[in-house]
Amino acid sequence: MKVLDHLEEWLIAFLMGAATLLIFVAVVHRYAAGMSIPVVQDALLRIDLSWAQELCIYMFIWMAKFGAAYGVRTGIHVGVDVMINRLPPRLHKSYVLFGLLAGALFTGIVGTLGASFTWDIGHTDTTTPDLEMPKWIAYLCIPLGSFLMCFRFLQVAWTFNRTGELPHHDVAHVEGIEAVDLNPYMAPGLHPAPARDKP
Amino acid sequence: MSAASPVAPRVDAPRWPALVPIFLVALPVALRLTGLDIANAWIIFGLLFGLMLTGMPISISLGLTVLSYLFFMTTVPVQSVALKLFSGIEKFEIMAIPFFILAGNFLTHGGVAKRMINFASSMVGHWHGGLGLAGVLACALFAAVSGSSPATVVAIGSILLPAMIKQGFPARFGAGVITTSGALGILIPPSIVMVMYGVATNTSIGALFIAGIIPGIVLATMLGLTTWWRARKYDYPRQPRATWIERWRAFRESVWGLLLVVVVIGGIYTGIFTPTEAAAMSAVYAFLVAVFVYKDMPLAKVPKVLLDAASMSAMLLYIITNAVMFSYLMTAENIPQELTAWMIDKGLGPIAFLLVVNLVLLLAGNVMEPSSIVLIMAPIMFPVAIKLGIDPIHFGILMTVNMEVGMCHPPVGLNLYVASGITKMGITELTIAVWPWLVTMLAFLLIVTYWAPMSTWLPKTLGMM
Repeated sequence: MKVLDHLEEWLIAFLMGAATLLIFVAVVHRYAAGMSIPVVQDALLRIDLSWAQELCIYMFIWMAKFGAAYGVRTGIHVGVDVMINRLPPRLHKSYVLFGLLAGALFTGIVGTLGASFTWDIGHTDTTTPDLEMPKWIAYLCIPLGSFLMCFRFLQVAWTFNRTGELPHHDVAHVEGIEAVDLNPYMAPGLHPAPARDKP
Repeated sequence: MSAASPVAPRVDAPRWPALVPIFLVALPVALRLTGLDIANAWIIFGLLFGLMLTGMPISISLGLTVLSYLFFMTTVPVQSVALKLFSGIEKFEIMAIPFFILAGNFLTHGGVAKRMINFASSMVGHWHGGLGLAGVLACALFAAVSGSSPATVVAIGSILLPAMIKQGFPARFGAGVITTSGALGILIPPSIVMVMYGVATNTSIGALFIAGIIPGIVLATMLGLTTWWRARKYDYPRQPRATWIERWRAFRESVWGLLLVVVVIGGIYTGIFTPTEAAAMSAVYAFLVAVFVYKDMPLAKVPKVLLDAASMSAMLLYIITNAVMFSYLMTAENIPQELTAWMIDKGLGPIAFLLVVNLVLLLAGNVMEPSSIVLIMAPIMFPVAIKLGIDPIHFGILMTVNMEVGMCHPPVGLNLYVASGITKMGITELTIAVWPWLVTMLAFLLIVTYWAPMSTWLPKTLGMM
């Protein structure tokens, strides 16, 4: 389990950094190739980076799918908690569980649809326009990411049902103040509160 | 967190609200089943709001609405949903969002804010309001390099607020200034909310950015005046006047951060970069400045910053994907067109329409965070606005200002939450603290709503629209 957690974190952080570098290099290349420095220009013109945008998009879509799963584990997905946080504990608990299971249901369905869809595409030879990579590889993130997210929802629901705990984001450290939770998307009013009284 | 915790636990709380979501979902469906001819829009929105109220993530409630509507009410194959989950965000413009978030994270941790505050306070610190006025200016400067409001509050507030309290300002005054000035983050370009609007309505993101400059400066001036007036009334401490040599030195220190404004705005305006490329460039630039120029951030901290930015972007991208599916459903069901026809049929002109838009957006700001509001509301309201002859750019700025207001008042105000984390003040106390500036913002909202040239003049003059 720990391995999966770390793999997830490592993957999305890597995709974020790599995509940024990729676009940076592509832009620099575009302008550097326009400058007339004798040998360098020829060398640069021979490198074709037209696929960079497409690759960047795919990297970010992969990051989005796996990051969304990571977000379930860290509890970053925002919702509307106006009603449920004012309910008596027992009802509150059933609604939180309902929300988590609905998440699992949705991601489960999407994962299944995505899997069959990716399978179909895998049997054709469609490729992506610029990279000319088989399209099913790009689409693979839908089933993989969705099933992982489904698993995370079930995991959180299981823990919540047993302990009443909901995941909470790490606190951020900013210079000048001690540890405070400064992730704005963790604002109250956007997340169900953990269970309060033992029902 | 404890200060900001919502309602106290109550075993004897009323139970009837629990029925509201069920009611919202069931009523339209039941009416339809009894043979009543109610519009599909009621069923869709009943489902959406019902699911949302159960507290599940907004992205999931959007997705489930689309999925169940397609499954139960239409013959459209649900397989198309899975495809949309990919193709919905297969756009290079959307990728500006993760880049801007990453750039913002580097800037927040990288000591850029500190130097901007020094520069701002050397320029305006000797007037009434002292550090408070400097806070407004520093927020405006930081907003010009960051695309998010809460990030601006974190970056400026975490350094300036403790300093203000040490100098003898009441905590409420400081918190009020920073919470509201931080909202400039999404009005002064770059802005994540504007990217969302541009993506949702196919409006030029570059033109939106340029259009935000003048309203941003006007709002900063208005907030500054409010600060000045209150500080003069209560005679708050002022800074000694800085000499021009000191000002020059502060400027030289902060110039690395300020240059980023030139990179982003200049790059987009001259067409050197697309907005997304500008965002990527600013992320790399912010990284270089934070780690190698100012050396305020150790290299070892980079993976953590990357991970934080990635998870926040993934959350937003997940909402976007599902919102794209939702707006696709809306279009397929002709709901914006029906709404337009209804509005025109009722004789609602642009003035009344804009008033309704403002009210709806301000209300929505009570329960949702800005990105979700823009992504859900823009595709519905935009076609009506166009039909009524409202400029798309003007409408975008109007929505952005509405989102700003929503960030500064409870219960969901993201800025308030961040400010409460810094000041350890409760949300209720903060709400009282922000009111003078909040009233200023509402007045500004009125001006933006009914005086379109403020938003459209600059992009028009520069030939961007």
